[in-house]
Amino acid sequence: MLSIRSAGKQYGKVRALDDVSFDLEDGRVLAVVGANGAGKSTLIKIIAGLMRFEGDVEVDGADVRRHGKAARRHIGYLAQHPAFHLDMTVQETVQFFSQLRGAEPGEARSAVLAVGLEPHATKPVGALSGGMRQRLGLAVAQLGSPSLFVLDEPGTGLDVSARLELRDFIRGQRSAGKSVLLSTHWLEDVPSTADDVLVLDQGRVVFHGPSAEFAAASTARSRLFLRLNGHTLDAIPLVADAARGEVTQTGEWISVTCLTSDKVRVLEALVAGGIGLLDFRVEEATAATAPPVMRERVPS
Amino acid sequence: MTETMTIFSKELRDAVRGRWLVAFAVTFALVALALSLVQQQGGVGAQGFNRTTASLINLCLLLVPLLALILGASAIAGERDRGTLATLLAQPLSSTELVMGKYLGLTVAVWAAVMLGFGVAGFLVALVSPVTDLGHYLLFVMLSAALASAMLSIGVLISVVSGGRSQALALAVLTWFLLVLFYNLVAIGVVLSIASSGEMLLAGTLLNPVEAVRILAILSLEPDLQVLGPLGSYLYLEFGAVTSALILAGSVLTWTAVPLVGAVALFRRQDA
Repeated sequence: MLSIRSAGKQYGKVRALDDVSFDLEDGRVLAVVGANGAGKSTLIKIIAGLMRFEGDVEVDGADVRRHGKAARRHIGYLAQHPAFHLDMTVQETVQFFSQLRGAEPGEARSAVLAVGLEPHATKPVGALSGGMRQRLGLAVAQLGSPSLFVLDEPGTGLDVSARLELRDFIRGQRSAGKSVLLSTHWLEDVPSTADDVLVLDQGRVVFHGPSAEFAAASTARSRLFLRLNGHTLDAIPLVADAARGEVTQTGEWISVTCLTSDKVRVLEALVAGGIGLLDFRVEEATAATAPPVMRERVPS
Repeated sequence: MTETMTIFSKELRDAVRGRWLVAFAVTFALVALALSLVQQQGGVGAQGFNRTTASLINLCLLLVPLLALILGASAIAGERDRGTLATLLAQPLSSTELVMGKYLGLTVAVWAAVMLGFGVAGFLVALVSPVTDLGHYLLFVMLSAALASAMLSIGVLISVVSGGRSQALALAVLTWFLLVLFYNLVAIGVVLSIASSGEMLLAGTLLNPVEAVRILAILSLEPDLQVLGPLGSYLYLEFGAVTSALILAGSVLTWTAVPLVGAVALFRRQDA
């Protein structure tokens, strides 16, 4: 379906993508994970034919560089912030892209229906909210029945309900035998949507493997910051034991990284030890704070 | 081809929706009517239609390049500014098809505006002057359309090399100033004072499509050496009316093709 070999991209002195290679088979969902600036959007733009690049990218056997038009016929692309002509209505927009993509008659209407935009079909795009434009982008991406969906941060700006719908959409495409490549920096999206995960760090692949393996190593980790009521030294062994992690102290704050499921155990241990909390903060682990094991696990 | 036609149709529809097409035609017609009335008061009688058409070509040489350059300059840079360029190029559509679809759509739209303008103007002028030479009038319409094609091509090239719409529009207005105003006022004078060789005069004519169309129009109407100016006079005396017309037509054609081919070639090498 999608084959990438030694893809690279240089912006001036910055190496945005370096020697990236992987395959995505039919009916699989791949999440591309990484902090901001890791190279996710660059990779996606290369696949969508929006950038010149080094290396080789093929979609359904069509070379993106030499036969870009044929390759893009197989790709449904959703940008992070989809941009359309604001004066055109939803219906006109989908019709216009339907013609460009050589979609079957009636597909435009079906696509509008599928994303729940039919009540807004006669509204100009300029009158739509960000979430609705995202839906419009998804409608356009479906036109012409592409076999690969390339979604750049598709959850951006969506409310909870829309994010759940997006997950259903991705699962639906996978069930239909289509492939999906999506970028995200929200790790909690990964286990529920992706079969495989590719982690990028400074343009390089630092992990590529099943999402279950990725989840076991990285998800459900939280960093707790605790400000205690003067019993810090007594608290440290209690917290270390409950969190099963190393505790560090900075002034009157202590911090510890633990599995998210162990967060409550830490608080319970403090309460049981008679140590009160003055303040606390919790940071969820993201791709940017993914554990170091990721940096060592790149399959050949 | 289908994709080019889809972009072409959208450009045409945008032109109608944008109302500039009608605004141009109305402005053109009103100025033409004013010109005609002024000439009626001057008592030019049966020559009124012919004289007015000569005045109209001067009006065209000012307005058509401005309109075409601005529209051409907005073509790609506008899409880039709105973020819609990436959306378009992520579709099964080549860079060449996008540029050509936009260029052809804008060309037909500007032709329609020119014809509408000349049509309304001709009708209004015919009401106050006897129609004596419709053939020249139609030739002027065609020359204006040819000038529009060349200037749109330059505009599209400006659009491709510009970072955004504002920069493209600034470059378009600068180009208009250089080709339409500066060229006649300063450039020709400078060329004549430095070296008035035949080659320099010929180059001076061919390097500016506006000047080429102006000389073509005058050659077709009345090859008067005073009206032709130094460049036109040189061509007429050196090559005769027919060869001069062919050389000038070739120049306009080159100014239409070369910037467009350049725009496509550069655009294909750019990131969206």
